[in-house]
Amino acid sequence: MLRRSKELIYAFLACILIILSYVLVFHYTNQIPAASDLYGHVIGIIGFLLMLATETLYSLRKRSRLARWGSMSSWLQFHIFTGIVGPFMVLLHTSWKFNGLAGVTTLLTGVIVFSGFIGRYIYTRIPRTTDGIEDTGLIGQMQAGALANARRLLSLWHTIHIPIGVALFVAAFAHILGALYYATLLK
Amino acid sequence: MNTQRLGCLSPLALITASIVLVILFAAEIISGNSMFNPGELNAQAGTSIGGLTSHAEIGKQCGKCHAAFWSDQDMSVLCLECHASIQAEIADPTSMHGILYQGTAQNCQTCHTEHHGPDGSLTLMEMVNFPHDATGFSLNGHQVGADGKPFTCSDCHVQGISTFDQGTCINCHRALDMDFTVTHTHDFSPSCLTCHDGVDRYGDFDHNQLSFALLGEHMGVECSACHLDDRTILDLQDTPTECEACHLSDDAHAGKYGIQCGLCHAPTGWIPAEFDHNLADFKLEGKHVDVPCESCHINAFKGTPKDCYSCHQQDDEHNGDFGTACEICHNPSDWADARFDHSLAAFKLTGAHVNVRCVDCHVNGVFKGTPQTCAACHADPAFHAGLFAGMACDQCHSTSSWSGASFNLSHPGVCGEDACINHEGATCRDCHTTNLSTATCLTCHDSNNPTDGGDGGGDD
Repeated sequence: MLRRSKELIYAFLACILIILSYVLVFHYTNQIPAASDLYGHVIGIIGFLLMLATETLYSLRKRSRLARWGSMSSWLQFHIFTGIVGPFMVLLHTSWKFNGLAGVTTLLTGVIVFSGFIGRYIYTRIPRTTDGIEDTGLIGQMQAGALANARRLLSLWHTIHIPIGVALFVAAFAHILGALYYATLLK
Repeated sequence: MNTQRLGCLSPLALITASIVLVILFAAEIISGNSMFNPGELNAQAGTSIGGLTSHAEIGKQCGKCHAAFWSDQDMSVLCLECHASIQAEIADPTSMHGILYQGTAQNCQTCHTEHHGPDGSLTLMEMVNFPHDATGFSLNGHQVGADGKPFTCSDCHVQGISTFDQGTCINCHRALDMDFTVTHTHDFSPSCLTCHDGVDRYGDFDHNQLSFALLGEHMGVECSACHLDDRTILDLQDTPTECEACHLSDDAHAGKYGIQCGLCHAPTGWIPAEFDHNLADFKLEGKHVDVPCESCHINAFKGTPKDCYSCHQQDDEHNGDFGTACEICHNPSDWADARFDHSLAAFKLTGAHVNVRCVDCHVNGVFKGTPQTCAACHADPAFHAGLFAGMACDQCHSTSSWSGASFNLSHPGVCGEDACINHEGATCRDCHTTNLSTATCLTCHDSNNPTDGGDGGGDD
C-alpha cells in the first residue's frame, strides 16, 4: 500500500520541509511572510510552476507518441506529487488573505486539488498496466456494470475537472498579469 | 473521444476559458479593479491633500494611483501629483526625500507600500540603504543598540520616518546611563544634535587628546564648571584656556599678582605654589633662596622694591651710616662676609693699613665719620712723647712702617756744630736708644771724643 502511495509520502515530506522553511522565515521576520516579499514570491512562483507542470507534463506524456520517457505510472506519481506540493506552496503564498481575484484563484486551486483526489480514486477503479493503459486482462474479470460505471464516472470527472483547471489557470494568469502590472511595472 | 488532444484545448475547456475571461472582465469593470486589490487601503488620517486625509478615502478609484497600461505614467508620477510637497522635497538635495532619491530610492514604492489594511504601515525601509550621513547625522555610532540588536528606523523615528524628536536620544541614553545623561543634558541642553553628529558615541572621550589636557584637580571637575552655557561645538572649542577665565573669583591675591596663575600654581592644587624667581629681574641667591615669599612680598609681588634697604633696613647694624647700598659691601650669602673696597673711600688704605682689621679703626661698628688723622688711631709713642705735638705723623712716617721714619726737620744741634751732618746715615735709634729726649754716642763711639773717628766708636 505504501509503495503504491509513495508519491503521497514524498508530497507529505516536501510539505513538511516547506512548512519548516515557512516557520523559519516567520521566526526571523516575526511576521507572516507576505505574498509580495521575496519568500512569498518564491513559493508563489515555484508553486505555480509545479501546478503548471501538474497540468501539462502528464497530459503531454500521455498523448505524446514521440517522447515516451518514463512509465505512465511514474508520470502519474509525479503528477500527484506536484499536484499536492504546488498548490500547498500557493496556499502559503497567499499569506492567508483570500480577497479578490487571488482569493478566487486560491479557492479554485483547492477545488482542483480536491477534484484531483477524487479523480485518482475513480482512475484506480479501472485496472491499468504500468503505462496507464487499461489492463484488458483484469478488466475482463470485472463485472460489466462496475466497469461501465467507473468509465462513466471518470468521463464525468474529466468533464468537471478540466473546466475547473482551465478556470484556475485563467484566473491564475490574470492574477500574475495583475501583479506584474501593478507591482512590477508599478502602473 | 480524441485522446490525443489536450484537455485544455477541448471545446469545453475553451468555452470555460472564454466564460472565465468574460467573468473576470465583468468583475474588473463592476468592481473597479478591486478584484486585484491585495488588501484594504490605509485609513489613518494625515494631512489633507485635495480634501482627502487618507488613501482609504480614494475608495475604488484605482486610477488615482494606478496609471493605465497604455499611459507613459507610472505610480510615482501619480503619487507626486497629489503629494506635491514631496515633489518639492525631491528637488532639494538636503531634504530627506532629496537624499533618498539621490541614493538608492528609485521611486516612491521603494519605501512606500499600500494595501496592508486600514492600520497598515505606509513606509517600509528595510530594502533601502538610506545615506543617513547626508542628513548631518551619521549612523556610524548607532549600528547596534545596548541590547546588541541592530537599530531600526523606528527606534529613533518613533513618530514617523520623516520626523525626529531629540527626546528620543535622551530617553534611550537615560536607560543606558541615567546619571550622566541627566547631568549632560542639564549642562549642555537637550539639543543633542547641536553637538553630536553620530560619527562617534564619545563613550571613550578623552579630554587629554585636546589642546587643554585635564590634569590634577581639573580631572574631577564637572564639565559645566568650565563649559558653562556652552551649546554648540564651537562654544566648546571657544572655551578660554586661561586660568583667570575660570579662577578669577578664586584669586586669593585679589588680583595683586596678576592673572598668570600658572607662573606659580599648577593644576595639582593651589597649594603648594612654586615660582621660579630666577625668571624675575630679582634673582634669588644665597640666603634669599630660603626666605619665605612673604618676607619680601608683603601683600604684593608686582612692584616689590629690589634694593636691599627696603627689606634690610632693620638689619642695618650701621644705623644708616653707610647709606642704603648694602650690596657695595655685602652679598646675599652672609652679612658677615662683607667686602669693602676702601680705595673707594676718601681714606685710601696703603701700606700696613691694608692688613689692619676694620674694627681697629672703625670701633663699635662706626664707619661714617671715622677720623682720618693718624693721631686719631695712633697715640704719640713714648719714644717721642710730646716732642712733635701739633705735627702730622706723616711728616716723618709712612703707612708702610713706623720704623724707617725720616726726620726731615732740622735736627737740634746736640753737637753744637754742624758735625751732625757726619751722622747722616744714622738712624734715630742709633743715638736715641731709649727716647728722643736722651741720646748717647756710645752706641757707636767708645768715648765722646768727636775726633775719635774710629768706626763709629769713640776713643773716650
